[in-house]
Amino acid sequence: MRDLYQRLGLPNDASDKEIQRAIEACQHNALKADAEVVLGDPERREAYDALHVTLRDIGLLRARLGLTHGPFWQDNTANDFSLPPDNTGARHDLLIARVERAVGLHNGWRKWRAPWLLAVLLTGATLLGAAAGAALYHYWLL
Amino acid sequence: MPSGRFTPFETLLLTSRSQADTAGLLLLAWVMASRGPLTEAQRRQLTSLASECRHGHELTPIFDLANRQDFDAIQLAAEVMQKDRGGEQAYPFLRQAIALSVIDGEPSIAQHHVLRFLADLLGVIPSLFATLYAEQAGRPYAVPEDPSRRDYWLAKEHQRQREEARQQEQDERRREQEARERQEEALRRQREREARERQEEALRRQRERREQEARERERQRQEQARRERAQQDQERARQERARQERHNADQNRRWQQASPNDPRAHRALAVLGLPPGANRAEIRKAYRRMAQTHHPDRFYAQGEARMATASQRFQRIKNAYEYLMRAS
Repeated sequence: MRDLYQRLGLPNDASDKEIQRAIEACQHNALKADAEVVLGDPERREAYDALHVTLRDIGLLRARLGLTHGPFWQDNTANDFSLPPDNTGARHDLLIARVERAVGLHNGWRKWRAPWLLAVLLTGATLLGAAAGAALYHYWLL
Repeated sequence: MPSGRFTPFETLLLTSRSQADTAGLLLLAWVMASRGPLTEAQRRQLTSLASECRHGHELTPIFDLANRQDFDAIQLAAEVMQKDRGGEQAYPFLRQAIALSVIDGEPSIAQHHVLRFLADLLGVIPSLFATLYAEQAGRPYAVPEDPSRRDYWLAKEHQRQREEARQQEQDERRREQEARERQEEALRRQREREARERQEEALRRQRERREQEARERERQRQEQARRERAQQDQERARQERARQERHNADQNRRWQQASPNDPRAHRALAVLGLPPGANRAEIRKAYRRMAQTHHPDRFYAQGEARMATASQRFQRIKNAYEYLMRAS
């Protein structure tokens, strides 16, 4: 399947008027005839758009998974919906990184919990004692 | 540094007992949802498929993700499948995906592209995929059509018109068929009614015949009784006569002497085939003979008309005999 929007130089959510204008301005006769039949009818355009979204998704998936040259991804479909390979967006790596971070936080908390608690308790007791000493000192003096 | 919370599918994957099964189920649901939102029947099919997996969690989140076509979740599932189910391990999964997409007829174009993506993802070459498809669908694999072409829509329109024409033709034929059936039904009913009437008529006739026979028998019985009485009377009369004869030995009573000018007696004697002036013994003898000849039971086999006429004759003979017997 070809991407008619791309070939006509239109955004994917173009209005009917824009499409009409683009079709009239089109120089390629075969593309013009096809676009008139496919995009001119609202019902057909809806069906075409649904498939268009699916193919764009698949194109992006292929780009991220390194499948842009698979045997089932050829001809017009591959030409119009392929994206440059993209190694940055691997979801599994992201998941692993998140899990590692969560594990680190968890383990750190487990490891340091007892000393931290001791320190907090000591500080609290010291503060309480200081406050009590200050109160007594004032009472006796005044 | 990764940021943000775990997405629902990530949580699901982390809690799953088998990540590959969870990812596979999401991709199968995606194949089905590419045609449209999941129906109740499709959910049931997926649930029955999932009963063989080892994922160990609810399926509802997976259905929701597939209905939303959640891109991140699908990508994560695809990555998991690519890692865990490459090569020959992919065949059962692909078989399931093909079976689910052909379950409602020919796969939609979107489903075709999804299946092709899954085949590429799992490293299944086209010839092998075509074999799997033919095995599951029972028909050879066809390259998906191209809706960006004019021909696709024109062919679809043409097919729709043909379908409509065929539908109309079928309607027409069905209406004709119904009309014919109604006609046949009416005819059949009429025939049944006629048959019933004929049957009733026959029953009525039979009943009439039986009644007539009963009447006849009753009459015969009465006749018999009367005859016996007459015989007894006659016996008494003979004894009386004998007594009289003792007084008047040479007296020989005859009809013509008793009632020489009675025209009715003449007719009665003619009915019995006797000349005027026959005596009682002759009359009885003639009556017995005539009654035997003309009894209606003799004509039973020859139809009702013959029986009726015989009955009339018999009645006349009997009347004549009774009259003669009474009169003498």
